[in-house]
Amino acid sequence: MIDTIEKTYDMIDNTFCGYRVTYQNSNKQKLVPLDEANTDYQAIKEWAAIDGNNITDNGA
Amino acid sequence: MAITRIGNPAIANIREPNFRNIIINGDMSIAQRATSVTGVGDGDSGYHTVDRFKFVESGSPSTVFTQSQSTDVPTGQGFAKSLKMDVTTADASLGADDAIYVNTSVEGQNLQYIKKGTSSAESLTLSFWVKSNITGTYIFEIIDRDNDRAISKSYTISSANTWEKKTITYPGDTTGALDNDNARSFELIYWLGAGANFSSGTLQTSWGSRTTANDAVGQVNIGDNTSNEWYVTGVQLEAGEVASDFEFLPVDVNLNRCLRYYETMVTGTTQSLGQALYYNSTTIYYSHKYRITKRAVPTLDQVTSNDNYQFFRNNGADAFDGFDSLSNRTTTIFFELNVSANISGTAGQAGFLRANNSACFIAFDAEL
Repeated sequence: MIDTIEKTYDMIDNTFCGYRVTYQNSNKQKLVPLDEANTDYQAIKEWAAIDGNNITDNGA
Repeated sequence: MAITRIGNPAIANIREPNFRNIIINGDMSIAQRATSVTGVGDGDSGYHTVDRFKFVESGSPSTVFTQSQSTDVPTGQGFAKSLKMDVTTADASLGADDAIYVNTSVEGQNLQYIKKGTSSAESLTLSFWVKSNITGTYIFEIIDRDNDRAISKSYTISSANTWEKKTITYPGDTTGALDNDNARSFELIYWLGAGANFSSGTLQTSWGSRTTANDAVGQVNIGDNTSNEWYVTGVQLEAGEVASDFEFLPVDVNLNRCLRYYETMVTGTTQSLGQALYYNSTTIYYSHKYRITKRAVPTLDQVTSNDNYQFFRNNGADAFDGFDSLSNRTTTIFFELNVSANISGTAGQAGFLRANNSACFIAFDAEL
Protein backbone atom coordinates (compact mmCIF):
# COMPACT_ATOMS: atom_id res chain seq x y z
CA MET A 1 0.00 0.00 0.00
CA ILE A 2 1.30 3.46 -0.92
CA ASP A 3 2.76 5.41 2.00
CA THR A 4 4.02 8.63 0.38
CA ILE A 5 4.38 10.16 -3.05
CA GLU A 6 6.86 12.98 -3.52
CA LYS A 7 7.62 15.08 -6.57
CA THR A 8 11.21 14.79 -7.82
CA TYR A 9 13.18 17.32 -9.82
CA ASP A 10 15.93 17.07 -12.39
CA MET A 11 19.28 17.64 -10.70
CA ILE A 12 20.65 19.72 -13.56
CA ASP A 13 17.87 22.07 -14.61
CA ASN A 14 15.57 21.68 -11.59
CA THR A 15 12.51 20.87 -13.69
CA PHE A 16 9.77 18.68 -12.26
CA CYS A 17 10.39 15.28 -13.82
CA GLY A 18 8.78 12.52 -11.79
CA TYR A 19 7.63 11.03 -8.52
CA ARG A 20 9.18 8.94 -5.77
CA VAL A 21 6.70 6.45 -4.29
CA THR A 22 7.27 4.72 -0.96
CA TYR A 23 5.21 1.90 0.53
CA GLN A 24 4.02 1.10 4.03
CA ASN A 25 6.18 -1.39 5.93
CA SER A 26 8.49 -1.82 2.99
CA ASN A 27 11.84 -0.57 1.75
CA LYS A 28 10.67 -0.80 -1.84
CA GLN A 29 10.54 2.44 -3.82
CA LYS A 30 9.49 3.51 -7.27
CA LEU A 31 10.84 6.40 -9.32
CA VAL A 32 8.05 7.16 -11.76
CA PRO A 33 8.49 9.29 -14.89
CA LEU A 34 5.92 11.69 -16.31
CA ASP A 35 4.68 9.44 -19.08
CA GLU A 36 0.96 9.01 -19.69
CA ALA A 37 1.62 5.48 -20.98
CA ASN A 38 3.34 4.42 -17.76
CA THR A 39 0.87 2.47 -15.62
CA ASP A 40 2.48 3.66 -12.37
CA TYR A 41 2.01 7.25 -13.52
CA GLN A 42 -1.63 6.43 -14.24
CA ALA A 43 -1.96 4.89 -10.76
CA ILE A 44 -0.46 8.00 -9.14
CA LYS A 45 -3.06 10.17 -10.87
CA GLU A 46 -5.82 7.90 -9.55
CA TRP A 47 -4.31 7.89 -6.06
CA ALA A 48 -3.99 11.67 -6.00
CA ALA A 49 -7.63 12.06 -7.04
CA ILE A 50 -8.81 10.39 -3.82
CA ASP A 51 -9.73 12.80 -1.03
CA GLY A 52 -7.09 12.86 1.68
CA ASN A 53 -4.21 11.73 -0.52
CA ASN A 54 -1.61 14.41 -1.07
CA ILE A 55 1.56 14.49 -3.14
CA THR A 56 4.48 16.04 -1.29
CA ASP A 57 6.35 18.83 -3.04
CA ASN A 58 9.61 19.83 -1.39
CA GLY A 59 10.72 21.79 -4.43
CA ALA A 60 13.89 21.44 -6.44
CA MET B 1 -3.55 -11.94 -41.75
CA ALA B 2 -5.60 -14.97 -42.58
CA ILE B 3 -3.94 -18.19 -41.50
CA THR B 4 -4.57 -21.31 -43.54
CA ARG B 5 -3.21 -24.69 -42.62
CA ILE B 6 -1.62 -26.55 -45.49
CA GLY B 7 -2.73 -30.15 -45.77
CA ASN B 8 -0.67 -31.34 -48.72
CA PRO B 9 1.69 -34.04 -47.39
CA ALA B 10 4.31 -33.02 -49.93
CA ILE B 11 4.70 -29.70 -48.19
CA ALA B 12 3.68 -30.78 -44.72
CA ASN B 13 6.92 -29.57 -43.25
CA ILE B 14 6.25 -25.96 -44.12
CA ARG B 15 6.11 -24.14 -40.84
CA GLU B 16 3.26 -22.11 -39.46
CA PRO B 17 3.76 -18.33 -39.60
CA ASN B 18 6.35 -17.07 -37.14
CA PHE B 19 5.21 -14.93 -34.24
CA ARG B 20 1.62 -16.04 -34.74
CA ASN B 21 1.16 -16.26 -30.96
CA ILE B 22 -0.32 -13.02 -29.67
CA ILE B 23 0.63 -14.06 -26.13
CA ILE B 24 4.17 -13.31 -24.95
CA ASN B 25 5.84 -15.91 -22.71
CA GLY B 26 2.96 -18.35 -23.13
CA ASP B 27 5.25 -21.22 -22.18
CA MET B 28 5.92 -19.49 -18.82
CA SER B 29 9.66 -19.92 -19.33
CA ILE B 30 10.71 -16.39 -18.32
CA ALA B 31 10.37 -15.26 -14.70
CA GLN B 32 12.62 -12.27 -14.09
CA ARG B 33 11.04 -11.12 -10.83
CA ALA B 34 11.01 -14.37 -8.87
CA THR B 35 10.15 -18.02 -9.26
CA SER B 36 7.92 -18.25 -6.19
CA VAL B 37 6.12 -15.64 -4.11
CA THR B 38 4.04 -16.41 -1.04
CA GLY B 39 1.21 -14.40 0.47
CA VAL B 40 -0.32 -13.17 -2.78
CA GLY B 41 -3.81 -11.95 -1.91
CA ASP B 42 -5.91 -8.87 -1.22
CA GLY B 43 -4.00 -5.75 -2.22
CA ASP B 44 -1.39 -7.68 -4.17
CA SER B 45 -2.51 -7.16 -7.76
CA GLY B 46 0.62 -7.15 -9.85
CA TYR B 47 3.31 -9.16 -11.55
CA HIS B 48 4.99 -11.52 -9.10
CA THR B 49 6.68 -14.38 -10.90
CA VAL B 50 6.20 -15.36 -14.56
CA ASP B 51 6.70 -12.42 -16.93
CA ARG B 52 3.66 -10.87 -18.61
CA PHE B 53 1.17 -12.78 -16.44
CA LYS B 54 -0.39 -10.64 -13.73
CA PHE B 55 -2.29 -11.62 -10.60
CA VAL B 56 -5.33 -9.40 -10.18
CA GLU B 57 -7.83 -9.16 -7.35
CA SER B 58 -10.53 -6.64 -6.67
CA GLY B 59 -12.92 -6.24 -3.80
CA SER B 60 -11.49 -7.78 -0.66
CA PRO B 61 -11.17 -11.54 -1.07
CA SER B 62 -9.53 -13.39 1.80
CA THR B 63 -7.99 -15.91 -0.54
CA VAL B 64 -4.20 -16.04 -0.44
CA PHE B 65 -2.00 -17.83 -2.94
CA THR B 66 1.55 -18.86 -3.46
CA GLN B 67 2.26 -18.04 -7.08
CA SER B 68 5.15 -19.85 -8.68
CA GLN B 69 6.87 -20.84 -11.87
CA SER B 70 6.44 -24.60 -11.66
CA THR B 71 8.22 -27.48 -13.36
CA ASP B 72 4.98 -29.49 -13.34
CA VAL B 73 4.15 -29.62 -17.06
CA PRO B 74 2.21 -31.81 -19.48
CA THR B 75 4.28 -34.84 -20.42
CA GLY B 76 5.82 -35.00 -23.86
CA GLN B 77 4.66 -31.61 -25.09
CA GLY B 78 7.98 -29.78 -24.91
CA PHE B 79 7.13 -27.46 -22.05
CA ALA B 80 9.53 -26.97 -19.16
CA LYS B 81 7.59 -24.53 -17.00
CA SER B 82 4.05 -23.67 -15.98
CA LEU B 83 2.39 -20.98 -13.89
CA LYS B 84 0.99 -22.33 -10.63
CA MET B 85 -1.52 -20.74 -8.28
CA ASP B 86 -1.57 -22.62 -4.97
CA VAL B 87 -4.21 -21.65 -2.40
CA THR B 88 -2.73 -21.14 1.07
CA THR B 89 -5.65 -19.31 2.69
CA ALA B 90 -9.16 -20.20 1.59
CA ASP B 91 -12.19 -17.99 1.08
CA ALA B 92 -15.18 -20.21 0.39
CA SER B 93 -17.64 -17.34 0.27
CA LEU B 94 -16.51 -14.56 -2.03
CA GLY B 95 -18.11 -11.16 -1.57
CA ALA B 96 -20.19 -9.76 -4.39
CA ASP B 97 -17.44 -7.42 -5.54
CA ASP B 98 -14.61 -9.93 -5.17
CA ALA B 99 -12.74 -10.97 -8.27
CA ILE B 100 -9.62 -13.09 -8.62
CA TYR B 101 -7.91 -13.79 -11.91
CA VAL B 102 -4.66 -13.98 -13.86
CA ASN B 103 -4.39 -11.82 -16.92
CA THR B 104 -2.03 -10.85 -19.70
CA SER B 105 -2.39 -7.72 -21.79
CA VAL B 106 -1.58 -6.86 -25.39
CA GLU B 107 -0.66 -3.56 -27.02
CA GLY B 108 -3.03 -2.29 -29.69
CA GLN B 109 -0.24 -1.87 -32.23
CA ASN B 110 0.41 -5.62 -32.05
CA LEU B 111 -3.23 -6.40 -32.83
CA GLN B 112 -3.91 -4.33 -35.93
CA TYR B 113 -3.63 -7.37 -38.20
CA ILE B 114 -6.70 -9.01 -36.65
CA LYS B 115 -8.70 -6.12 -38.18
CA LYS B 116 -11.05 -5.76 -35.25
CA GLY B 117 -13.86 -3.34 -35.90
CA THR B 118 -13.98 -4.10 -39.63
CA SER B 119 -16.03 -6.46 -41.76
CA SER B 120 -12.86 -8.52 -42.17
CA ALA B 121 -12.28 -9.05 -38.46
CA GLU B 122 -10.35 -12.24 -37.76
CA SER B 123 -11.54 -14.99 -35.47
CA LEU B 124 -9.15 -15.79 -32.66
CA THR B 125 -8.29 -19.24 -31.39
CA LEU B 126 -6.95 -19.81 -27.91
CA SER B 127 -5.17 -22.99 -26.91
CA PHE B 128 -3.50 -23.91 -23.64
CA TRP B 129 -2.75 -26.71 -21.20
CA VAL B 130 -4.36 -26.57 -17.78
CA LYS B 131 -4.46 -28.71 -14.64
CA SER B 132 -6.29 -28.45 -11.32
CA ASN B 133 -7.60 -30.68 -8.59
CA ILE B 134 -10.92 -28.83 -8.98
CA THR B 135 -12.96 -30.01 -11.93
CA GLY B 136 -15.73 -27.92 -13.40
CA THR B 137 -16.36 -24.76 -15.37
CA TYR B 138 -13.74 -22.06 -15.84
CA ILE B 139 -13.92 -18.84 -17.85
CA PHE B 140 -11.47 -17.19 -20.22
CA GLU B 141 -12.50 -13.66 -21.12
CA ILE B 142 -11.20 -11.22 -23.73
CA ILE B 143 -11.81 -7.57 -22.91
CA ASP B 144 -11.32 -4.86 -25.53
CA ARG B 145 -10.19 -2.00 -23.28
CA ASP B 146 -10.31 0.56 -26.09
CA ASN B 147 -14.03 0.10 -26.68
CA ASP B 148 -15.19 -1.52 -23.42
CA ARG B 149 -16.34 -4.63 -25.21
CA ALA B 150 -15.93 -8.22 -24.08
CA ILE B 151 -16.47 -11.86 -24.84
CA SER B 152 -16.26 -14.79 -22.41
CA LYS B 153 -16.12 -18.48 -23.12
CA SER B 154 -16.00 -21.39 -20.73
CA TYR B 155 -13.77 -24.41 -20.63
CA THR B 156 -14.18 -27.50 -18.50
CA ILE B 157 -11.56 -29.24 -16.45
CA SER B 158 -12.83 -32.80 -16.65
CA SER B 159 -10.27 -34.83 -14.74
CA ALA B 160 -8.74 -33.78 -11.46
CA ASN B 161 -4.96 -33.44 -11.31
CA THR B 162 -4.57 -34.19 -15.01
CA TRP B 163 -3.08 -31.94 -17.67
CA GLU B 164 -5.70 -31.23 -20.33
CA LYS B 165 -5.37 -29.26 -23.56
CA LYS B 166 -8.15 -26.76 -24.22
CA THR B 167 -8.98 -24.99 -27.46
CA ILE B 168 -11.50 -22.15 -27.71
CA THR B 169 -12.36 -20.08 -30.78
CA TYR B 170 -13.67 -16.53 -30.44
CA PRO B 171 -15.45 -14.97 -33.43
CA GLY B 172 -14.09 -11.84 -35.02
CA ASP B 173 -15.57 -8.60 -33.74
CA THR B 174 -16.75 -6.26 -36.50
CA THR B 175 -17.35 -3.46 -33.99
CA GLY B 176 -14.74 -1.36 -32.22
CA ALA B 177 -11.39 -0.83 -33.90
CA LEU B 178 -8.38 -1.12 -31.63
CA ASP B 179 -6.12 1.87 -31.09
CA ASN B 180 -2.85 1.62 -32.99
CA ASP B 181 -0.63 2.55 -30.07
CA ASN B 182 1.43 1.20 -27.18
CA ALA B 183 -1.43 1.10 -24.67
CA ARG B 184 -3.38 -1.94 -23.54
CA SER B 185 -6.06 -2.90 -26.05
CA PHE B 186 -6.72 -6.51 -25.12
CA GLU B 187 -6.89 -7.83 -21.57
CA LEU B 188 -6.97 -11.63 -21.59
CA ILE B 189 -8.29 -13.13 -18.39
CA TYR B 190 -8.12 -16.51 -16.73
CA TRP B 191 -10.80 -16.24 -14.06
CA LEU B 192 -10.13 -18.07 -10.79
CA GLY B 193 -12.95 -16.72 -8.66
CA ALA B 194 -15.81 -14.32 -9.22
CA GLY B 195 -18.27 -12.73 -6.82
CA ALA B 196 -21.86 -12.07 -7.77
CA ASN B 197 -21.09 -8.73 -9.39
CA PHE B 198 -19.09 -10.63 -12.00
CA SER B 199 -21.15 -13.80 -12.28
CA SER B 200 -24.85 -13.11 -11.68
CA GLY B 201 -25.82 -12.51 -15.30
CA THR B 202 -25.60 -14.59 -18.43
CA LEU B 203 -22.20 -15.51 -19.81
CA GLN B 204 -21.49 -13.20 -22.73
CA THR B 205 -20.34 -15.65 -25.39
CA SER B 206 -20.59 -13.15 -28.27
CA TRP B 207 -18.79 -9.84 -28.58
CA GLY B 208 -20.73 -6.98 -27.09
CA SER B 209 -20.54 -4.06 -24.72
CA ARG B 210 -19.11 -5.29 -21.47
CA THR B 211 -21.48 -6.02 -18.61
CA THR B 212 -19.49 -7.06 -15.58
CA ALA B 213 -22.25 -9.38 -14.31
CA ASN B 214 -21.73 -11.42 -17.49
CA ASP B 215 -17.95 -11.72 -17.19
CA ALA B 216 -17.50 -15.02 -15.40
CA VAL B 217 -20.84 -16.75 -15.00
CA GLY B 218 -20.34 -20.33 -13.79
CA GLN B 219 -16.71 -19.87 -12.78
CA VAL B 220 -15.64 -22.20 -9.96
CA ASN B 221 -14.04 -20.60 -6.92
CA ILE B 222 -10.56 -22.07 -6.99
CA GLY B 223 -9.85 -20.42 -3.66
CA ASP B 224 -12.42 -22.25 -1.57
CA ASN B 225 -9.97 -24.74 -0.06
CA THR B 226 -6.30 -24.67 0.83
CA SER B 227 -5.74 -27.95 -0.99
CA ASN B 228 -6.61 -26.33 -4.32
CA GLU B 229 -4.18 -25.47 -7.05
CA TRP B 230 -4.33 -24.42 -10.70
CA TYR B 231 -1.64 -24.69 -13.36
CA VAL B 232 -1.46 -23.33 -16.88
CA THR B 233 1.11 -23.36 -19.70
CA GLY B 234 1.33 -23.36 -23.48
CA VAL B 235 -0.96 -20.37 -23.81
CA GLN B 236 -1.39 -19.40 -27.44
CA LEU B 237 -3.85 -16.98 -29.04
CA GLU B 238 -3.72 -16.75 -32.80
CA ALA B 239 -5.72 -15.44 -35.71
CA GLY B 240 -7.99 -17.95 -37.41
CA GLU B 241 -10.22 -20.78 -36.35
CA VAL B 242 -7.58 -23.48 -35.98
CA ALA B 243 -5.18 -23.97 -33.12
CA SER B 244 -1.70 -24.62 -34.46
CA ASP B 245 1.04 -26.29 -32.44
CA PHE B 246 2.46 -24.08 -29.72
CA GLU B 247 5.07 -21.72 -31.12
CA PHE B 248 8.23 -22.30 -29.12
CA LEU B 249 10.66 -19.40 -29.38
CA PRO B 250 14.39 -19.45 -28.62
CA VAL B 251 14.98 -18.28 -25.06
CA ASP B 252 16.78 -15.12 -26.20
CA VAL B 253 13.86 -14.13 -28.39
CA ASN B 254 11.33 -14.84 -25.67
CA LEU B 255 13.39 -12.94 -23.09
CA ASN B 256 13.77 -9.95 -25.40
CA ARG B 257 10.02 -9.81 -25.92
CA CYS B 258 9.55 -9.77 -22.13
CA LEU B 259 12.24 -7.11 -21.70
CA ARG B 260 10.11 -4.62 -23.60
CA TYR B 261 7.88 -4.61 -20.51
CA TYR B 262 10.19 -5.39 -17.63
CA GLU B 263 13.95 -5.56 -17.17
CA THR B 264 15.71 -6.73 -14.05
CA MET B 265 19.05 -5.01 -13.72
CA VAL B 266 20.40 -5.88 -10.26
CA THR B 267 19.40 -8.65 -7.89
CA GLY B 268 21.88 -9.12 -5.09
CA THR B 269 25.38 -8.10 -4.22
CA THR B 270 28.67 -7.53 -6.07
CA GLN B 271 26.95 -6.84 -9.37
CA SER B 272 28.25 -4.02 -11.51
CA LEU B 273 25.84 -1.31 -12.62
CA GLY B 274 28.27 0.57 -14.86
CA GLN B 275 30.05 3.87 -15.00
CA ALA B 276 28.97 7.11 -13.33
CA LEU B 277 30.46 10.44 -12.31
CA TYR B 278 30.22 13.25 -9.82
CA TYR B 279 28.26 15.93 -11.66
CA ASN B 280 29.02 18.22 -8.75
CA SER B 281 30.25 17.67 -5.22
CA THR B 282 26.90 16.31 -3.98
CA THR B 283 25.43 14.56 -7.01
CA ILE B 284 26.34 11.33 -8.75
CA TYR B 285 24.98 11.11 -12.28
CA TYR B 286 24.39 7.73 -13.89
CA SER B 287 22.98 6.75 -17.27
CA HIS B 288 21.73 3.26 -18.10
CA LYS B 289 20.80 2.00 -21.56
CA TYR B 290 18.17 -0.70 -21.42
CA ARG B 291 18.82 -3.99 -23.14
CA ILE B 292 15.61 -3.51 -25.16
CA THR B 293 13.65 -0.35 -25.96
CA LYS B 294 10.77 -0.15 -23.53
CA ARG B 295 7.05 0.04 -24.33
CA ALA B 296 6.80 3.29 -22.36
CA VAL B 297 9.19 5.35 -20.25
CA PRO B 298 9.63 2.87 -17.41
CA THR B 299 9.41 3.14 -13.67
CA LEU B 300 12.55 2.34 -11.71
CA ASP B 301 11.74 -0.22 -9.03
CA GLN B 302 14.33 -0.40 -6.28
CA VAL B 303 14.91 -1.64 -2.76
CA THR B 304 16.65 0.88 -0.55
CA SER B 305 18.58 0.01 2.56
CA ASN B 306 21.70 1.15 4.32
CA ASP B 307 24.71 1.45 1.99
CA ASN B 308 23.14 -0.71 -0.71
CA TYR B 309 25.52 0.61 -3.37
CA GLN B 310 29.08 1.77 -3.68
CA PHE B 311 30.58 4.32 -6.07
CA PHE B 312 34.26 3.51 -6.60
CA ARG B 313 36.36 6.52 -7.66
CA ASN B 314 39.79 8.00 -7.02
CA ASN B 315 41.06 4.96 -5.09
CA GLY B 316 38.11 5.05 -2.70
CA ALA B 317 34.41 4.36 -2.48
CA ASP B 318 31.27 6.22 -1.41
CA ALA B 319 28.28 4.25 -0.18
CA PHE B 320 24.65 5.20 -0.63
CA ASP B 321 21.25 3.63 0.00
CA GLY B 322 19.53 4.02 -3.36
CA PHE B 323 18.80 6.33 -6.23
CA ASP B 324 17.06 9.58 -5.35
CA SER B 325 15.57 10.78 -8.61
CA LEU B 326 15.45 10.29 -12.33
CA SER B 327 16.23 13.03 -14.82
CA ASN B 328 13.99 14.69 -17.36
CA ARG B 329 16.01 12.99 -20.11
CA THR B 330 14.82 9.54 -19.11
CA THR B 331 13.26 7.85 -22.15
CA THR B 332 12.25 4.47 -23.49
CA ILE B 333 15.92 3.92 -24.38
CA PHE B 334 17.92 5.48 -21.53
CA PHE B 335 17.35 5.90 -17.84
CA GLU B 336 19.24 8.74 -16.15
CA LEU B 337 19.54 8.61 -12.38
CA ASN B 338 20.85 10.82 -9.64
CA VAL B 339 22.18 10.17 -6.17
CA SER B 340 22.43 13.08 -3.78
CA ALA B 341 21.83 11.75 -0.28
CA ASN B 342 24.78 11.03 2.01
CA ILE B 343 27.51 11.41 -0.59
CA SER B 344 30.14 13.98 -1.34
CA GLY B 345 32.99 14.03 -3.83
CA THR B 346 34.84 16.01 -6.45
CA ALA B 347 32.99 17.24 -9.50
CA GLY B 348 34.20 15.49 -12.62
CA GLN B 349 35.53 12.38 -10.92
CA ALA B 350 34.36 9.29 -12.73
CA GLY B 351 34.04 5.80 -11.35
CA PHE B 352 31.86 2.76 -11.36
CA LEU B 353 28.82 1.64 -9.42
CA ARG B 354 28.50 -1.71 -7.74
CA ALA B 355 25.81 -3.38 -5.68
CA ASN B 356 26.98 -3.85 -2.11
CA ASN B 357 24.16 -5.73 -0.40
CA SER B 358 22.28 -8.95 -0.99
CA ALA B 359 19.07 -6.94 -0.73
CA CYS B 360 19.97 -4.81 -3.77
CA PHE B 361 17.27 -4.78 -6.39
CA ILE B 362 16.77 -2.57 -9.44
CA ALA B 363 14.36 -3.15 -12.29
CA PHE B 364 12.73 -1.09 -15.01
CA ASP B 365 8.99 -1.56 -15.33
CA ALA B 366 7.02 -0.61 -18.43
CA GLU B 367 4.29 -3.23 -18.04
CA LEU B 368 0.75 -2.84 -19.28
